[in-house]
Amino acid sequence: MDRVYLDWAASAPPEEPAIREAAEVSLLCFGNPSSPHGAGKEAADRLENARATLAGVIDASPSEIVFTSGGTESNTSLLLSILGRYRLGGAERRKARIVTTAIEHASIHDQALGLGTLGMSCTAVKPAANGMVDPQAVADALDDETVLVSVMLVNNEMGAIQKVTEIAGAVRAFSERRGRRIIIHTDAVQALGKIPVSVASLGVDAASFSAHKVGGPRGIGALYIRKDVVPGFLAVGGGQEAGRRPGTENVAGACAFAVAAGERVTRLAINHAAASRLAERLISGLKEIRAARIFPESRAGRDAASFSPYILSAGFPPLTGEIVVRVADEHGFCIATGSACSTKKKDRTRVPDSMGLDHQTALSAIRVSVGPSTTEEQIDNFLAMLKKEIPPLLSISQGRPDPAVTAAASGPRDD
Amino acid sequence: MTDAHRDAPGAAARTAHTAHSSGAEFRTLFLVKYGEIALKKRNRGAFVKSLKESIRAHLPGISFSVYETFHRVFVSCRPEDREKVADALGRTFGVVSFSEALRVGRDIQAVEEASVALAGRFLAEGRGSRFKAEVRRAEKSFPMTSYEIACRVGDVLRARFPDLVVDVHNPDWVLSIEIRDHAYLYGPQSDGPYGLPVGSSGKGMLLLSGGIDSPVAGWMMAKRGMALEAVYFHSPPFTSQKAREKVEALAGILGRYAPGIVLHVVNFTPVLARIKEKAREEEVTLLLRACMMRFTSLLAGRRGGQCLVTGESLGQVASQTVESIAFTGMLSELPVLRPLIGMNKEEIISVARKIGTFETSNLPFEDCCVLFSPPHPLIHPDAARMKRSYDCLSIDAILATAIAEMETVSAPR
Repeated sequence: MDRVYLDWAASAPPEEPAIREAAEVSLLCFGNPSSPHGAGKEAADRLENARATLAGVIDASPSEIVFTSGGTESNTSLLLSILGRYRLGGAERRKARIVTTAIEHASIHDQALGLGTLGMSCTAVKPAANGMVDPQAVADALDDETVLVSVMLVNNEMGAIQKVTEIAGAVRAFSERRGRRIIIHTDAVQALGKIPVSVASLGVDAASFSAHKVGGPRGIGALYIRKDVVPGFLAVGGGQEAGRRPGTENVAGACAFAVAAGERVTRLAINHAAASRLAERLISGLKEIRAARIFPESRAGRDAASFSPYILSAGFPPLTGEIVVRVADEHGFCIATGSACSTKKKDRTRVPDSMGLDHQTALSAIRVSVGPSTTEEQIDNFLAMLKKEIPPLLSISQGRPDPAVTAAASGPRDD
Repeated sequence: MTDAHRDAPGAAARTAHTAHSSGAEFRTLFLVKYGEIALKKRNRGAFVKSLKESIRAHLPGISFSVYETFHRVFVSCRPEDREKVADALGRTFGVVSFSEALRVGRDIQAVEEASVALAGRFLAEGRGSRFKAEVRRAEKSFPMTSYEIACRVGDVLRARFPDLVVDVHNPDWVLSIEIRDHAYLYGPQSDGPYGLPVGSSGKGMLLLSGGIDSPVAGWMMAKRGMALEAVYFHSPPFTSQKAREKVEALAGILGRYAPGIVLHVVNFTPVLARIKEKAREEEVTLLLRACMMRFTSLLAGRRGGQCLVTGESLGQVASQTVESIAFTGMLSELPVLRPLIGMNKEEIISVARKIGTFETSNLPFEDCCVLFSPPHPLIHPDAARMKRSYDCLSIDAILATAIAEMETVSAPR
């Protein structure tokens, strides 16, 4: 059975040029970039080239790029640096609050909540029913204790593109009035290579990226951190990455990341147009299936432009997403329920719950995510499978269609 | 202990290990005491069989032999397998206690030498210096009385180990000596799980879900000597492969206590579909239970099962009220045994922990999808009315297909 991969938001199939780059750099430029000899210098050169490429891709300066192990580390190291700066005897010991949203990836949402036990506090702003976080709601959540605001650029479960520029503007206005800096971070993991990402025009101080979402290898990502921001990174070691992320650098990973990201950004407009056609095809096909819902409904209409065409959330309530994923898998289609990173039962419906969906509907959510090599034929086959398999399952789970029929069949009743 | 055997002095060292017809090879011998009911003549064969299967179930490759004489069963194995065999004995129902034993010739000198070997070992193990010797003389042709043997052994040991003190009221350890076809000597014993040997009380069909209760129910019936066949109802794609694997794992754990258990995996999705199609929402759970009872009762007829076993506990959920049980029980032509009926959840959990099923049961793969639990199930159903609803399902043909397509796993992991 040919497998059709529709779970690009969990991890994208690797791009061959990126993996070749990783292999070549691993084999040839194995020196430690911190070493003063030729092999070390050669590795350092490759690393700095990769850094410059990536900086160009996101419209930053090379010195503002810190290579990390991926999106999660980028997110958590930034949050924990707040702890280092404001709580653990850092430069500026005081109360500290993080303002974020209810739709963040667990490495922001749960990490921010976790910091609550260490004397920090956290506010999670809920999105509206259309999946969008209102910039005014974020502004309203700010107070004198707020030191960091983190709002993701593209939501990983629904694909909603958040108004990060406006939010950053509102936060900046607030902090200028109060004369106290608030760091503005965005988790741009699902945005890179899919929608234009310029950290300068977004107006953020920090942003997180991951290579394996754009066809690069696992274990490499980046944190953009603006020159004039001085967080208190907690990890200490050999002083690599200008003291911001210790540990011998993953040179091969960084080079492969740069190749993959460069490739995606070069073809961004073409890919985006293709993905938009796929999304439209998916949405109109799904609508032909009884009980199909698109989450949020408005993305199929007036809000279409506010969503990444690469991620689509849908469902067939009351069928749980788990069942649909299982049936799809049996037919060779790889899709997801919500986020692949939320395996904990309790957290599985956090994002749809926060949008005001009832629990049964929230449990029905599946996520279909596509990429540059997804074809219209694959989408058609996927839709055909759903059209065939879903209605019988819906009949079973929804029960008998007309109570009168069975009442008649089962003879006289005591009531 | 094996090394201690080898180090034992004199003739005892040469004779102590010669287990039943094993020639010159060193063998470890276990003396097993079993429950009163197992003494009954017709149960003895089942007991020995169960013991063999219990050891084999856990240790398929192991070489051992089991033989029994009046009142005692002996298991001999290679010394390197002794811990595994002891583990198997510890969970073989019918075993009251067991201990490693030395078997020597039926003469007083051999008994003395073996006593010295064992006492030396107990001292070396730090078991203490206060001891007593207990003698049973089943073979009355032996020229000394039990009392005389005990006195002689006591004297020999105190002469050999000056630190030893006889204390018949509060000994640190007891040296037991049994004079039978041979003389058997052993020290402190380990407890067995009591109960009756599996297979001595017929065969039951266990409705096994992935939950906490049903494995405990199965274990309790195995404890009373019942051989088990387990039945698992799965509903793909509504239930996952992982849920099925979990039930296979639970059946495997039960197999440690109920050797020879098989697991029947039944696709119940067509049954579910029929119920959802025909039944009122609040009746769905009860009718599903009823179909499971009916199915298992039919299966029992083919497999020689004599009863159904369920993990029901009175009032735990809507389908376990006395009215619900009255209805679902109607669908089985065989008695339905519910060993947990009067137990609280906490009590059930504590048994589940003890027998090692709790952690597996607690894995988060639901055995029945929330989709099929009505928000307001019937709690006090009218049995006659439910029976009419059941009859309206016309489910027999679907159940027959389910039996025909059922999968049977003979050695669940």
